[in-house]
Amino acid sequence: MERTLKFKIFRYNPNIENDKPRVETFKINETPRLNVFTALNRIREEQAPDLMFDFVCRAGICGSCAMMINGRPTLGCRTLTSDLPENIELYPLPFFKMLGDLSVDTGIWFRGISEQLESWVHTQKEFDPEAQEERMDNALANKIYESERCIECGCCLAGCATAQAYPNFLGAAGLNRIGRFIMDPRDQRTDEEWFELVSTDEGVFGCIGMMACDDVCPKELPLLEVFSYIRRKMSTVPLKR
Amino acid sequence: MPSLKTELYPEAASRHSKTSEAYRKAKKAIINEWISGLTGAILAMFICGHLILESSILLGKDAYQWTVHLLEVTLPIAKPIVILITIVFFIHFVWASRKIPGKFQDRKRMMELGKKIKGSKKLWNQDKKLETSLARHFETSLWIWQVRTGMIVLATGAFHLILVAWNIFTNMGVSGQQPGLSADIATSRVESGLWILYAVLMFAVVTHMAIGVYRLLVKWFADTWFVRKYSRTLFYFLFWFYIVLGIATTIGLAGPWEGLLS
Repeated sequence: MERTLKFKIFRYNPNIENDKPRVETFKINETPRLNVFTALNRIREEQAPDLMFDFVCRAGICGSCAMMINGRPTLGCRTLTSDLPENIELYPLPFFKMLGDLSVDTGIWFRGISEQLESWVHTQKEFDPEAQEERMDNALANKIYESERCIECGCCLAGCATAQAYPNFLGAAGLNRIGRFIMDPRDQRTDEEWFELVSTDEGVFGCIGMMACDDVCPKELPLLEVFSYIRRKMSTVPLKR
Repeated sequence: MPSLKTELYPEAASRHSKTSEAYRKAKKAIINEWISGLTGAILAMFICGHLILESSILLGKDAYQWTVHLLEVTLPIAKPIVILITIVFFIHFVWASRKIPGKFQDRKRMMELGKKIKGSKKLWNQDKKLETSLARHFETSLWIWQVRTGMIVLATGAFHLILVAWNIFTNMGVSGQQPGLSADIATSRVESGLWILYAVLMFAVVTHMAIGVYRLLVKWFADTWFVRKYSRTLFYFLFWFYIVLGIATTIGLAGPWEGLLS
């Protein structure tokens, strides 16, 4: 039986003077295999042309359409309405800069993290375009790849109570990013440098282990594994002479 | 050929020094983490042993008396352990509580996130088959409960520790009586109404211990063979085993179930 879906969507445009945050309700009929992303496009086409939300790839790769769907931070394009009840509440992700309605700017935060952690391979080796690629153990390459799969949607931070209370916290996305470079043998940064970077209360020891990041990550990254890898690796550093 | 990297990015030369502010800050953070984690682990192991030994009342007063004698006389470890645990208890309080947001505003924000996810439970669960269903986020709620139970343990546990220390080191003002615990003292205390305090303490300490063990294992060992799933199973086991044992022991000390298993 075809359902009529009730979308309760948070509306607020900070660029309009005196605009008040409110929740508006839109009704649409459910079609087979409808996802939240397509439903939002239909609402915008048929009912609210000024509705703001982000999307690019509609395939769970770009991470733009992350939002709070019935209280859970997740990707709109990967959420089928058939998995949801008739009443669907949509809110923008907390933690990030609000642009309007469901649209937030995750880019500012991720760029800042990238600069703070200097997330690129630090090496003094001169690049030789003629040489063969350096060999890497397959198991290690797979581990790095698993961390590298992060699409920076920001769901982990939106679900993290620690990040809500401490805005400087690196969060799962930041720690996962730096874990990827700690694992990488091509990065020549020393253990002491990693130590200064992540062994802080804003870094890995700021995490109090509520595990929501691991539960909400739409890409199912092995986040907890990366954290405990960093923790144990860091705990031997101050013992070294 | 010029190095491509250095034109674009800072050099990879090591910029750290062991006297730098960043290094000292990082070292402080890790030492704090070690102190809170290790004291927690010690207290968890102590509680596990303590509740098992306490449950000897279920075998009768003689068994309890035998256990007391073993710990106070045969292997005189009761006194040093009381002193040690009292110290570790307060160290753990100071170091572990540093993770509780200091500002009321921040605590409120944390609670709000938990509550929002809690509210979503009903909506998500309208359809039981949901693969994406997310109940109130369990581990976030667990942390909030760990803070609450921690505060209860701080109040009731401190009282308990002081009372036991008095018991072990003095004769409590009763002339002619030897210092030390006995089955009669323990049962009369619980029977006289203090069971309310002990029941509250038992519930709080078991909950706090089980959650703490779960979190500690996930934080440090999630990338080993002991994955989160096993830590979670251990959490349920510890919680239910010690809650059942604790209830039985409290009823045992209060009278009705004394010598239940003998």
